[in-house]
Amino acid sequence: MPSEPNAEAGPAGSSPWRLALRQLRRNRVALAFGGLLILIAIFVLAAPLWAEHVADTGPNETHTLEKIDVDGEKREVVNVEGRPIGPVWLGAGGKYFLGADGRLGRDEMVRLMYGGRASLFVGFASALMATVLATILALLAGYYRGWVDTVISRTMDVIWAFPVLLLGIALGIALALGGLKIGPVEIPSGSIWITILIIGGVLVPYTARPLRGTVLALREKEFVEASVAQGAGPLRVMFGELLPNLASTIIVFFTLAVANAMLFEAALSFLGVGVQPPDTSWGAMVGDGFDLIGSAPLLTILPGTMIFLTVLSVNVLGDGLRDALDPRSKVRLEAHAGIAEPEGTAV
Amino acid sequence: MRKLGLNLLVLCVVTSSALALAACGDSDSKEGGTLTGSYASFPDYLDPGLSYTQEGWTAMYNTYLPLLTYAHANGAAGGEVVPALAEDLPEIGNGGKTYTLRLRKGLKYSDGSPVKASDFTSSIERLFKLNSPGSGFYTGIVGAEKFAETKTGGIPGIKTNDRTGEIVIDLTAPRGTFSNELGMLFAALLPSGTPAKNLSSDPPPATGPYEIVKSEAGRGWSYTRNPVWAKNNGPLMPDLEAGNYDKIEISVVRNDSTQVNEIEQDQTDWMQTPPPADRYAEVKDKYEETQFRVENPINLYYFWMDVNRPPFDDLKVRQAVNHAVDSAALERIYSGALSATHQILPEGMPGHETFDLYPHDMAKAKELLAEANPADTEITVWTDNESPNDEAGAYYHSVLQELGFDATLKTINADVYIPTIGNVSTPDLDTGWINWYPDYPNPSNFFEPLLSGEGIVPTNNVNFARIDEPKLNEKIARLGEEPLGPEQEAEYAELDREFMDLAPWVPYGTFTVSTFVDSEIDLDSVIFNPTFGHDLASFQPK
Repeated sequence: MPSEPNAEAGPAGSSPWRLALRQLRRNRVALAFGGLLILIAIFVLAAPLWAEHVADTGPNETHTLEKIDVDGEKREVVNVEGRPIGPVWLGAGGKYFLGADGRLGRDEMVRLMYGGRASLFVGFASALMATVLATILALLAGYYRGWVDTVISRTMDVIWAFPVLLLGIALGIALALGGLKIGPVEIPSGSIWITILIIGGVLVPYTARPLRGTVLALREKEFVEASVAQGAGPLRVMFGELLPNLASTIIVFFTLAVANAMLFEAALSFLGVGVQPPDTSWGAMVGDGFDLIGSAPLLTILPGTMIFLTVLSVNVLGDGLRDALDPRSKVRLEAHAGIAEPEGTAV
Repeated sequence: MRKLGLNLLVLCVVTSSALALAACGDSDSKEGGTLTGSYASFPDYLDPGLSYTQEGWTAMYNTYLPLLTYAHANGAAGGEVVPALAEDLPEIGNGGKTYTLRLRKGLKYSDGSPVKASDFTSSIERLFKLNSPGSGFYTGIVGAEKFAETKTGGIPGIKTNDRTGEIVIDLTAPRGTFSNELGMLFAALLPSGTPAKNLSSDPPPATGPYEIVKSEAGRGWSYTRNPVWAKNNGPLMPDLEAGNYDKIEISVVRNDSTQVNEIEQDQTDWMQTPPPADRYAEVKDKYEETQFRVENPINLYYFWMDVNRPPFDDLKVRQAVNHAVDSAALERIYSGALSATHQILPEGMPGHETFDLYPHDMAKAKELLAEANPADTEITVWTDNESPNDEAGAYYHSVLQELGFDATLKTINADVYIPTIGNVSTPDLDTGWINWYPDYPNPSNFFEPLLSGEGIVPTNNVNFARIDEPKLNEKIARLGEEPLGPEQEAEYAELDREFMDLAPWVPYGTFTVSTFVDSEIDLDSVIFNPTFGHDLASFQPK
């Protein structure tokens, strides 16, 4: 392919978004993983169809004592020693395609599809929550500075100071019994929203701090001064001037937050404080399958692989978006991608 | 001179033959050497006053002896209370309120100090000073409740005479299970002056055939023979096994699959916990009869239903649920390690007579439910998060959903599960999973705490069904005052049926454990006591 000189600049008159799209189209690796992410999304969205028309069972229906016809041979879903049937592929017309999930005899394929819905939903919803909250806090801290910045930044520091997984586990255990009541809003214990709130809340500082740095830098730019000179109020400046200029950074951090939230959800569910049974997620399935890792390793490997592929897809796509949206960005993604990293260095 | 030489030669031959035979005899007795074992975790305590788990009791069965103990035998025979430090079983007088025992003369602790009758008083007082979980078994002694509060002034209900070895215990009310309670590890004698603090890392002197010489929390512990056993305590207590190994070394191996591998490779002689569910069938198939044996401790796994809350306030609903749950499914969920039962008293418990009022019949269950037609079908099902109990809870949840209930499953961390469901103020305590391991093999230990209305308390409640039937309460109280005999056993069997008629629970099985030893141990020699677990003194090399 011939190289295009000054490709990043693009033709005169193109909008930044159009330029970014063009840039993204050239990044084949990012596109491939974006495609994989879409395939995964289709896979999990098809869960009710597969459950109803192929597997003929719901994700939580138990079949411990049932027998199925596999290529004309009657086989127990769970044998007398509690060992689940392995993958039968299409031998039973799609039922137990990936075998049973354990001693309860639930269909592993159906659980994998429904578990993926939960994992993706928690990942995207908590990342969205973390990003929205982080953006608001970053705008407030960066715009007002002074004591507002001090209060917000120190609060973020306090949350950041906790080991993130321990904080998540502590919140998960504390909210597991009584649920959450904030004024008129009541979330019952066991609800997936508890997990989303925990992960979303814990991840806020990881996005808010770098965004705050960016807002502090933008705050000094001429276009902001011009806007203030024209009489724009704080809200107008924050959401009319600063926010559009933060968009590309926010999108990049959102994709990173999705990946981190999915991993965090997997860890919490593996430890039993994330998605609550009988519902499942890929992380919970890894935990459930771990009990049988010697005799039925697929029960751990399959959901683990799905987590790996999804997180990898989101990360690579996020990298591609970063390159496309802000090719000159000084954001060092590596610094923010790892939760263990203590400080972001965004400008 | 020549004759003398011949005689000497004959003497030498006879002597050397005798020595050779003696040496062979030593070899046949299979004594000496080191027994190695593994635990999945360190016991709760290595202090007889504090330990309240079978892991701890197994570890101290042969080190700390109470006045009475449980026979070192398998199965039901192991439930028999026999004398240990006491000369005989207690004389019971004053209408069941006074127990008189006599300490065997000449007993010593492993440090060489004499065992005194007054050590019993100080050992019981130590329980209260430690706020031991076992202190509750002895609050029926006159003055014990006051001592529990003040921790001073002694317990006037215990009178001892160090010269004669006599120990007289006065109770505030007759208690038919008191001999069982005197046989618990909590009542083991320790020297007067033993500090009232957790001594797990520096265990006190022993009275049994072994003493703990090293204890490293989280890593393991080891025993050697009690130096005073062979010449002193052993001959005084001939019914107790001396043990076949000079040393016993126990290490903590957290991965149970690694424990199995070590036994297969003859690196460890024995593992305390059963093989993991994942490998249970493999181990059973490969080693049953040679190195592996299924044991039947006394316990019960069941689902409770709160009989005061709709829809379980309706007998027909409870009966329907009993018909709907299928023990066969639960046997698979427990990987074949569950022995199905459908009554309160499990096999091996005195008073057990097998019956099943509610055989599995889903059609019958649905019919009963249709008759009951409960208005409130919204229920919460509770279980803990330990496998496979969490799966048992999920199975029960799916059965209730199949019956038409709008059931919500609540899975709680095992560490806080019992306090949570034992707290009356916890909302939505409709039904759930639980198990019960009795403290001693007496049926009273099932009915009194679990099914008597008098046992219902606001916190730490274990009558989860909250059943309170005055007539049955009276019967439980009366039987609890009487020492266990054939008549009482028959009455307990009847009580079992009476409660199952009311169906407050869905009992579904007894969880079996196992003995798994390496190829060097004689499996037949190993004793598994239903209360104390494996008897380390019984292990013999092949």
